[in-house]
Amino acid sequence: MFKLNLKIAWRNLWKNKVYAAINIGGLALGLTAFVLMLLYINHEESYDTWSPDLKNVYQIREKHDFFTPDNKEHWNEISNSRIANLIRTKLPQAFAVTKVDNDWDFSSVYSLKIDNANPVVINKIKDSDSSFFHVFPYHFLQGSADKALENKNTIVLKESLAIKLFGTTKVLGKTVNVVRWRSDKGSPLTITGIVADPKTPQSLSFNAITRTGDKDKDPENPTNNNYCFLYAKLNKLSDTLVINQTLQKLYIDLKKNLLGGQKQRYNDLYKDGKLPGLKLIPIETVHSTPPYKMNWFEKLKPVIAISAFLLLISVINFINLATAQSVQRAKEVGVKKVLGCYKRQLTWQFLIESALQSIISLFLCIILIEVVLPAFNSQFNVDLSFWHNAQLLTMIAQLAGLFVLVTLLAGLYPAWVLSNYNPVSVLKGNYENVLRGIALRNVLVVFQFVISVTFIISIGIMQMQSRFMSNKDLGFERGNLINIKSNYEDNFAERLKKIPGIEYVATTTQVMGNTFNVPEEVKYKGNSINLNTVTVTMDALPALGVKVIQGRIFSKEFKQDTVNTVVLNEAAANLFGKNIIGQTYGKVDWEGKTNIFQIVGIIKNYHNEGFDKSVLPTVYKVTSLGGTSNTNNLLVRFNTSQYKDLINKIEKQWKVLYPNFPMEYTSLDDVFSKSLEDNDRFMNMIILFSIVSVSLSLLGLFALSTFVAKRRTKEIAVRKVLGASNIQIVNLLNKSFLILVIVANLISWPIAYIIIKKWLDGFAYRIDMPVFPFFIATLISIIIAVLTVSIQARKAAVTNPVNALKYE
Amino acid sequence: MIELKNIEKYYSSKGIKHYVLRHVTTTIKQGEFVSIMGPSGSGKSTLLNILGMLEEPTYGTFEFLGEDVTSLNERKRIELYRNHIGFVFQAYHLIDEMTVYENIEAPLLYKKVGSSERASRIANLLDKFNIVAKKDLFPNQLSGGQQQLVGIARALATQPSIILADEPTGNLQSAQAEEIMQLFQKLNKEEGITIIQVTHSEKNATYGNRILNIQDGVIKEDSPTQAPQMGGVV
Ligand SMILES: Nc1ncnc2c1ncn2[C@@H]1O[C@H](COP(=O)(O)OP(=O)(O)OP(=O)(O)O)[C@@H](O)[C@H]1O
Ligand SMILES: [Mg+2]
Repeated sequence: MFKLNLKIAWRNLWKNKVYAAINIGGLALGLTAFVLMLLYINHEESYDTWSPDLKNVYQIREKHDFFTPDNKEHWNEISNSRIANLIRTKLPQAFAVTKVDNDWDFSSVYSLKIDNANPVVINKIKDSDSSFFHVFPYHFLQGSADKALENKNTIVLKESLAIKLFGTTKVLGKTVNVVRWRSDKGSPLTITGIVADPKTPQSLSFNAITRTGDKDKDPENPTNNNYCFLYAKLNKLSDTLVINQTLQKLYIDLKKNLLGGQKQRYNDLYKDGKLPGLKLIPIETVHSTPPYKMNWFEKLKPVIAISAFLLLISVINFINLATAQSVQRAKEVGVKKVLGCYKRQLTWQFLIESALQSIISLFLCIILIEVVLPAFNSQFNVDLSFWHNAQLLTMIAQLAGLFVLVTLLAGLYPAWVLSNYNPVSVLKGNYENVLRGIALRNVLVVFQFVISVTFIISIGIMQMQSRFMSNKDLGFERGNLINIKSNYEDNFAERLKKIPGIEYVATTTQVMGNTFNVPEEVKYKGNSINLNTVTVTMDALPALGVKVIQGRIFSKEFKQDTVNTVVLNEAAANLFGKNIIGQTYGKVDWEGKTNIFQIVGIIKNYHNEGFDKSVLPTVYKVTSLGGTSNTNNLLVRFNTSQYKDLINKIEKQWKVLYPNFPMEYTSLDDVFSKSLEDNDRFMNMIILFSIVSVSLSLLGLFALSTFVAKRRTKEIAVRKVLGASNIQIVNLLNKSFLILVIVANLISWPIAYIIIKKWLDGFAYRIDMPVFPFFIATLISIIIAVLTVSIQARKAAVTNPVNALKYE
Repeated sequence: MIELKNIEKYYSSKGIKHYVLRHVTTTIKQGEFVSIMGPSGSGKSTLLNILGMLEEPTYGTFEFLGEDVTSLNERKRIELYRNHIGFVFQAYHLIDEMTVYENIEAPLLYKKVGSSERASRIANLLDKFNIVAKKDLFPNQLSGGQQQLVGIARALATQPSIILADEPTGNLQSAQAEEIMQLFQKLNKEEGITIIQVTHSEKNATYGNRILNIQDGVIKEDSPTQAPQMGGVV
């Protein structure tokens, strides 16, 4: 029976090739999008799951406001290094504790020199202490976890790095010279271990772990603090709830101690319900709970929704086409019923047919995934693989689940409709009351078009917003400007200034790509104003090419500029009021002394972060009065766009001064494109998904109209015999679909409006909601729907009525 | 084997009852070959559908093999289809996606007849109806008469005790119709299968041994056929 059903299913598919192809192909596309999402989610969820021993590994998080982007208190990943010792000595449940370098955005690469070879730049080399491999259960290919970091000046490489550097893992005892910044002498470290690369990603990823000795001790002065990552391994079966309570108590004691045992100062610091905080979190949760950032799931939510919709569209096609096809199958149902077939058996038969199609789609989908995965990987900057996947079994189980779900979703309703046919009416040749599910089919078509139209509107508006962003005046000249990853050093700067073609060499703490916000509070005419402070050199503002609105910018001619003058941006100036050039304001420094600053100019706001953030009210100063900062920016402005040769010249000078550290630079043009990258990526994906979803909907409509035209062949023939023209027939068929498309448009307008509004609200600089894309989307959807249906309708209309009447 | 008592069937629309069958009371014995005749719209098909349990009467009782089957659940009804009743249709109603062989096999699969038994029965039927050469063809590759032969073979596959046929020759030319009627007569005489057919043709009716004449839903006449070849009831 089963075999026969399968055979019939196959013959049916074959008979309706086009319909089956649309069904299967559409479903395969929908599945592909969904499975890609699954792969990605699995990948994200697999963080820090590479060893069962990680169950007992925890990250320590401290609540503080140092280095936070908004200067407010957060649970931070970097903690006071003293906490390691606190846990080691006071918490018996802790088996081992280790301190590890955190990543700084602007100094993440080290230069590695082996023997006399050219230095190689390697990122993610982290300094730690002797306990690193006691906490993290890495598998040693060479050396051992116990011995590797026993001594200072040692380094443990990941297998991949060892292969990259030496071509082999048999490198124990060799020496590498690690240069950590350009003028660092470098420290020779002995390789004492090689660890295998884990199968799943790690939140604390590294290429090599060093023990230089820096992490062995904490600063002696209690007011000096080091911040770094802290990890602990607890004994099995430790209750983290209890431990976190203990930790909190220990931490308060430590805080009081550090504040010199003065109860008063402690109470001063922690008033108004503010409490010091310290806790452990399991390492598997680290990746999904980044401090002050959206976690991957939040970011992925829209994409998940979109791919689910895509799958839904293809399932809807499936249902619609299957029920539309039911007229053809009605007779079979009727006959089988009088031959002694149970309804249940029929339901099964039709489910098997759906299953057959979904299994073919699934195979197609696996092939498709193999094809698109490379593109997907480069888009999302991941390294996913279907077959070489640590969770292949999970994946297969998920696919099996998906297969069952899709089969049921797509097949259950048609199977139910079909198996419910009443044999008498069918066998009488009366199909009219067989045409059940028309209402549902209409609802589903509307639903599909709502999704598609919403997509089209969204693309339109997103495109407009991104055109707006890429054409927006940044407030500075981003062309012919590069930023070398280096601090300003007179010797180097002077050498560069001598090169013809170089206009300015300067530094600033605020430039697109590397912005460091230092908040301060100033007093102006009795009011407090909160500003962001940026330290620049004399040439920085002209180097950036900012526009002066009022007054002047810094210049060597004015001696006072190195003493106490400042330039404000528009946003800051607005906080001060009118006529402020020449006015002064005061700022209390950390010793309690008030410094007076004079405002000499106002510049146009310039952008240094993405368009999602508004430009902060900022004060620019050259003077070191009130403190300075330095953040590894060296701006070089050329007076020509052909600056490739000039860069070679700069590199030559660099090699003279810093032979052991390669020069790194970015052009501001690249930085700007990179700032748009996330958005572009998101948009490209939306566009891709929209195209797929619109084409799926249209294919569905195409197939559906085929069936409707077929069903109405006789009616059409009769009408033609009665004198209807072809056009009238085409219109007749179009009318029913057109109403659906218009209804869908009406529904999708408010939906698209709400979604897009939310998206636009994420940008500080955005376009006004345009109405144009709404009309365009409606127009497009109507035109293509009419075209699609007309192709079929025309075919039905021009056939000779005699043929139809003869055979019915 | 069939006992109808006071069967009525009506459709009500806008509160008015439109009677299709009224006071139909009759008995059909095992081995009879009954032809139902009457003008178009008189309720012949409706009566046959009720006999085939495809429709339920609005009133009255219907006993089949001594059992009240007026309203049956799906399970019992399908049991009867599998074991006792075979249908033959005017439009043949073969399943287009199945070959001749598979069409005949289908009811046997539902009845869960073993595979060797199945094969021998089908071979037998194909042989008997002279369609062995056509067994792998699909219905649309056969002539109307051939299709009807397959339809009858399919109805006979489960070795039913009764065959219900609604205008089995309605779509056929007279030569083919005659062939089918002779087949029916042979089945009735040699194998004792009860046959109830609806027909418009006087000639076809003469192959049977009893005629029920229906007009406006009422049995107007119930008479044995006068045909000289009529044999005794087996
Ligand atoms: N579903 C229905 N609703 C209302 N009336 C119906 C329905 N089905 C059948 N009828 C009516 O029942 C009457 C008898 O129909 P039936 O099909 O039994 O006639 P018939 O004797 O087989 O005619 P023919 O020789 O043309 O096949 C007809 O008048 C028809 O209009
Ligand atoms: Mg009839």
